[in-house]
Amino acid sequence: MRGVRGLFLGLVALALAGCATAPASPEALAANDPYEQTNRDMLKFNGKIDKYFVIPTVGIYFVLVPEGGRRGVHNFLGNLSLPTIFVNDMLQGELSRAGKSMWRLVINTTVGLGGFFDPASKIGVPGHGEDFGQTLAVWGVDDGPYLVLPFFGPSNPRDAAGLAVDAAMDPTNQIPFKQHIWWSAGREYFTLLDLRAQTYQAIQGIQRGSVDYYSSLRSLYRQLRNEQIRNGRKQGQDLPDF
Amino acid sequence: MRLPHSPTRRALLLAALLSPVLTAGPAMAANVAESFVDENIRKGLDILRDRKLTTVQRRDQFETLLLGLVDVRRIGLFTLGQYRRTAPPEDIEAFINAFKNYATAAYQSYFAKYTNQTLKVTGSTQRTPTDFIVQTLLIDPNSSQQPSEVDFRVRTDTGKPVLVDVAYQGIWLSLEERDQFVAFLGQNNGNVRTLIAHLSELAVNLGKPTQ
Repeated sequence: MRGVRGLFLGLVALALAGCATAPASPEALAANDPYEQTNRDMLKFNGKIDKYFVIPTVGIYFVLVPEGGRRGVHNFLGNLSLPTIFVNDMLQGELSRAGKSMWRLVINTTVGLGGFFDPASKIGVPGHGEDFGQTLAVWGVDDGPYLVLPFFGPSNPRDAAGLAVDAAMDPTNQIPFKQHIWWSAGREYFTLLDLRAQTYQAIQGIQRGSVDYYSSLRSLYRQLRNEQIRNGRKQGQDLPDF
Repeated sequence: MRLPHSPTRRALLLAALLSPVLTAGPAMAANVAESFVDENIRKGLDILRDRKLTTVQRRDQFETLLLGLVDVRRIGLFTLGQYRRTAPPEDIEAFINAFKNYATAAYQSYFAKYTNQTLKVTGSTQRTPTDFIVQTLLIDPNSSQQPSEVDFRVRTDTGKPVLVDVAYQGIWLSLEERDQFVAFLGQNNGNVRTLIAHLSELAVNLGKPTQ
């Protein structure tokens, strides 16, 4: 895992080094996207990875694994994230949500057979997400300029840092065992597969109907992150007048 | 944070803006905006459930209903951002027309995929005396996932309620469109005619069956 993250951080550094030479247009600066041209290039790179490596395996995944199995994989991966979510709930002072995360972990790991099933949702303890990027936002850290990370897609310096911290605090990354790299790589791969399988139609719809796919993703990402940081609360929504 | 189970359903957003269809839950019309959304959900549902109509008749009737509810002009002008001030009036008019066709094409591409989702009004927030956010829940009987939040922004400053925006899980459609259009115009020297041509092309493509 650390190797994978190291490679990722190296690529980010390379991407940012490339950014330094690209002059930013007034529109890009106004959109807090001074590295727009590099970001657009990175989006194209990610699109090629998606087209030639990810989508074909998503197709195989759909053919080989029935819906119930895919749901089990989704639940299992979500269960693995619960300790990290719990810690971030606590760091944000969201004690009620932290309690729910802990309950979900206990119920789904035991009754849910290691997390493959989600009985917690059925008894009224639905899931929620949380990450260190959001924790930083709650602590008052600004998001910074928009970034498109290699492999990971839309982000910003705050969320990229959060990604690294979440990986470092993940308990399964603290357990030393011989085949750790395979476990980490497998988990990352299935997380990507699960996410792409769920978003396939939505992303296809965005690509098909967008005037500018890049800026559409940028807007959607920022709005989604703001919503996640607010935990869905309606107060504090900054909407323009029109 | 919400589970990212349906992260960026732009097609659904577009459809939702143009289609406060679906079912009405127990109506608790606390204000004019809630009544407006609730009532038109019922009207839309009546059209969708009318088995005497052909698919084309149903689509056309529904479209007529929606275009009567949505302030397309206001949304279109908003999505132009700062370029609204500098574009020639004739280009603005042509843009509004192209925007309407684009939005309609997007709605029609979604219409065929409608699978009995329902909407239930759950409450509202008053931002100003003429600006409301009506909250609803989108319930999909074919999905085991939790219902999704869909919010409608209703303005009443013109004397009658009109829809000006819709949000799916907190993501507002008009904001996303404005960000796209402004970026596109920024890359094309602010030329609204280029945007009109692009929107027209997209509307044609949206009308073709997906591969």
